[in-house]
Amino acid sequence: MKRSEPLSESYYYILLCLAKGANHGYGIMQMTEKLSGGDVTIGSGTMYGATGNMMKKGWIREILSGEPGQERRRLYQLTDAGREILRGEIARLRRMLENAEEV
Amino acid sequence: MAGQYKTSMKMYSAWNYEKEIEDLNKASEKGWQLVKGGLLASRFKKDPGVRYRYQMDYRRIDDMARYIETFREQGWEYVNSTFNGWHYLRKLYDPSLPEEAYEIFTDRESLREMNGRWARLGLALGIVAGVAALLYGVWMILRFQIPVALVFLLLAVESAVLLRGWFIMRDPDKSRNRRGDGALLAVFLAAILLGGTASIALAANRVSLQTEQKAGDIDHPVIDSRWADFEVKYPDFYYVDLTVEAEKPVDFAILNEKDEPVFEIHEKSYRTENRRILLPRGRYRLSFSAETGYRVEFGIG
Repeated sequence: MKRSEPLSESYYYILLCLAKGANHGYGIMQMTEKLSGGDVTIGSGTMYGATGNMMKKGWIREILSGEPGQERRRLYQLTDAGREILRGEIARLRRMLENAEEV
Repeated sequence: MAGQYKTSMKMYSAWNYEKEIEDLNKASEKGWQLVKGGLLASRFKKDPGVRYRYQMDYRRIDDMARYIETFREQGWEYVNSTFNGWHYLRKLYDPSLPEEAYEIFTDRESLREMNGRWARLGLALGIVAGVAALLYGVWMILRFQIPVALVFLLLAVESAVLLRGWFIMRDPDKSRNRRGDGALLAVFLAAILLGGTASIALAANRVSLQTEQKAGDIDHPVIDSRWADFEVKYPDFYYVDLTVEAEKPVDFAILNEKDEPVFEIHEKSYRTENRRILLPRGRYRLSFSAETGYRVEFGIG
């Protein structure tokens, strides 16, 4: 497997927050803050840039919410390629942690 | 209630956008709310009842609806965009929120990306201006003329300013340069504009003459022929190309208003290119006399 570039914190958390299902930008932001205990926040400029870039790379895609009253709401969904990238990153992070424990 | 508006003519360089944001926040505190941000002028509405925090973004937006929605989700209101790709955003100020709530770029990478987008433009423009300055520099050395020197100077300064902007913007930490240089920028732009107009006007007012006289078949002599008149509107260096081929020596001269020659020859065969002469303002006349069988080519520019 070819080694990919480490993800930035924002990219990593966005992918992570989509692992269990589609979500909108605000949902991703809230979930990230909750998961990281407030350490990581994703501002709107960072969010727009990161989601745009990841859509171009084919890691996530845009879908419209089917929920009543929110039909037009934009949701982001992980693609298979995105899931692969996230898996790779988690494996990389795990290996780094294991290495730390070995030393 | 009829709204009270004002237009502010304050300019900021791209690498000083943080200073602009700071000034927008201060204006908001004083009751002036930005309604339309611009490159040269910004429009404000008087509303002392609210207080906003402003932010600026630089990018090409490929999905405006998604952009506005992404910002609205976190309480940001999209204000407007300038034609050159800067976007103004504002969020109602809530003192209970931490400072981070008013940041739109929350990691180093995305801030670096934004600054990098402008830095690339600044570098490209700086290089184009620099190469153009170099070409004009060579031209200026080969043929010194005021309009060329003026354009060279403007391009060199423009290139230096743009490359300095690139240097500041390429590193997000260096962009934390909050010293306003709006006045300097205004003077700089005015100088570029004035200088550019002046050089175009001067170049347009220069004389450029290409002319030729052939009389190989004429067997009767021509004596003192008045050939062409031209006017020099401002003193500058001119460059003369002259070729003379004749059976007998030809008198050729450029005469000023007092009929004094500023350039003259008396030759059967003569050739010069780019001969530099300084011509003061005034009217000039080309005059020559030849007896028979001659060819004279003359150019000045």
